[in-house]
Amino acid sequence: MRKEDTVKLISAEGFEFVVDKEAAMVSQTIHNMLTSPGSFAERQHGEVTFPEISTTILEKICQYFYWHLQFASGKETEFPIEPELTLELMMAANYLHT
Amino acid sequence: MKKESELVGLCIEAACESRESVEKWRLQRRSLHRLPSPLADALLRRLISRRLLFPSLLEVFKHSVEEVDLRRESSVDAEWMAYLGAFRHLRYLNLADCRRLNSSALWPITGMTSLQELDLSRCFKVNDAVINHILSIPNLEKLRISQTSVTAKGVKLLASLKNLSLLDLGGLPVDDVALISLQAYFNVWIVWINLLQKFLRCAVHFTADTLKHTSQMSGSTSVLDIIVLKRMQYIDLWGSKISNEGAAVLNMFPKLTYLNLAWTSVTKLPKLSSLECLDMSNCTIDSILEDDKAPLIKLILSGATFLNEAEAFLYANSDFISFLDVGHSSLHRFFFLSKMKVIEHLNLTSCMMGDDSIDMVVCAGGNLKSLNLSGTRVSSAGLGILAGRVPNLEILSLSQTPVDDNAILFISMMPSLKDVDLSNTNIKGFLPQGKTDVDSPLSLMVLQNLKLERLNLEHTQFRDEALYPLSSFQELRYLSLKSASLADISLYYLSSIPKLTNLSICDAVLTNYGLDTFKAPETLKLLDLRGCWLLSEDTILSFCRNHPGVDVRHEFGTVFPFNENGLKHSSPSRPTSRTVQLAKKKDQIPVTPYFSDQRLKYSRDELLALRFTSLPLASSSESGSLIFEKQLD
Repeated sequence: MRKEDTVKLISAEGFEFVVDKEAAMVSQTIHNMLTSPGSFAERQHGEVTFPEISTTILEKICQYFYWHLQFASGKETEFPIEPELTLELMMAANYLHT
Repeated sequence: MKKESELVGLCIEAACESRESVEKWRLQRRSLHRLPSPLADALLRRLISRRLLFPSLLEVFKHSVEEVDLRRESSVDAEWMAYLGAFRHLRYLNLADCRRLNSSALWPITGMTSLQELDLSRCFKVNDAVINHILSIPNLEKLRISQTSVTAKGVKLLASLKNLSLLDLGGLPVDDVALISLQAYFNVWIVWINLLQKFLRCAVHFTADTLKHTSQMSGSTSVLDIIVLKRMQYIDLWGSKISNEGAAVLNMFPKLTYLNLAWTSVTKLPKLSSLECLDMSNCTIDSILEDDKAPLIKLILSGATFLNEAEAFLYANSDFISFLDVGHSSLHRFFFLSKMKVIEHLNLTSCMMGDDSIDMVVCAGGNLKSLNLSGTRVSSAGLGILAGRVPNLEILSLSQTPVDDNAILFISMMPSLKDVDLSNTNIKGFLPQGKTDVDSPLSLMVLQNLKLERLNLEHTQFRDEALYPLSSFQELRYLSLKSASLADISLYYLSSIPKLTNLSICDAVLTNYGLDTFKAPETLKLLDLRGCWLLSEDTILSFCRNHPGVDVRHEFGTVFPFNENGLKHSSPSRPTSRTVQLAKKKDQIPVTPYFSDQRLKYSRDELLALRFTSLPLASSSESGSLIFEKQLD
């Protein structure tokens, strides 16, 4: 996997998730960060930090990105969400427009 | 309402999965506190629709929710209200049809500063005492209290709600004095006169009493009141005790655009210069709209009695009227129609309209899109006057008129028609040219060039063969037939209508064989077979199985779910004379959802006895096939 094709998502606690750019682009917010014109740090380094999103939630978000891609390509499976995570995940999803 | 994103939707679903999942997140106070209000609103809505909400759960939303819609929730009571009272950002609260609520239960809404919209419609236990709670909501803009127990006394007090722009008082016993004070008219009236040093032009007749009241209250007025009044745009007073005295002061609202006075004793209206929509159905009308300024668009006067018919609408501004409903009214003359140049929707149901006044409709006809002439005396000759002069007409109802097959010729000259109702007329389906019906051309043939989408032929004299042209109606979606002279062959013709979605063929002599061989159009969604008494339960059941996408209605229809729940071993039975009678009986009695299966009426023994009383009917499938083959020949 080439570095240009990936993006590093960093949680509030500093954990780093390296995901495919294609998957991260499922989020409209990340999509805008990485494609908007101008020299944003996010675009140059391929890194986005989310000081508001905890590691657990960010991990779930990354899983969702890949699930979404699979779903879009016709693999219809359930995306399980633990009830404990619903509130925080909902807020993160709202922020990420995903 | 903004559509939440996909993952948000999944989260809300997961959060509202069950009681247990709710328990998992309801203690996450910090998260709940931070929840943005659109998310909190959506989560709450879902909890309500999943019936998972209970009073103490409301507590977790008190910092976040802005909109609460609890209408028709019968469990809402004082306990719920106690929690809702703590919602500090609540902007919209809908408690319509919450039957348990009374005035004291609503005490917690006192002083909710963010609340802008409150709906208490049909909370019949709510009375005048609630008004004091409502008055303490400073920013209230929209208030609906129709069909509550609030009286004129309470309504009077609403005058001090400065920001009100919508007030629904439907069905309340509001009297003139209440209306006058409600609008702070006493106060403003005096101030207005003092300030402008002149009387308004329109004549208002105050009684001695109201004048006394006026002078008592005038001391406490302020100029600001006038500005406040200017916001009122929508007043709904149907069924109230308002009379002319109260209505006379309505012109103090410079922005009033919507006024509903249906079922009141108002006979006169003052000049209302911004009125766009007026509903005075079932009123007795003496003089209204004598001002030629009001930019009226919609006028509903159905069931009205006109005292002074010659002058009705004489001075009204008819430049913008696009919707007029004078159905069931006492109007005899229709000169006013000739002035309405932009009218699109005209309802003349059961008016004294005949062929002689159809000219007036023609004058208004250029833009007409929908015309309801049902129950009038308009005949085919009258329709002939209309033909070719209503180029935009899409919907035409001629139900219960004396029109015959000639009318169909004229209908074919209305190029935009999509929806035609010819029910309860003398139409037979044959053009009256040949000596006998057999020689005559079929009248529906001439309609083949129209793009008809709906056609109602119930209670006409159509026979099977006259329906043949329907098979080439390319755009037809809804077709209603109801006649005892239709048989299987009709179904055969109808099966080739390419876009048919709703087919109703009631009271017809359809046989089991006819239904079995019916090739339903692929688009069919609803098949109404009520009153087709020859059909047996088994045939209908097997039709349902073969056409899972079609919703079938029949007297036997309600039995199916019961049968499919494991009672399939019960012996198949043909409809006996008894069950047919039952079916007919059921047609007349409204069937409640709690009692859908007639068999519940009988004990087991009675039912067993019934099974063996079945009269040996001629095998309906055999006779059906005979008829069918004969007709096909």
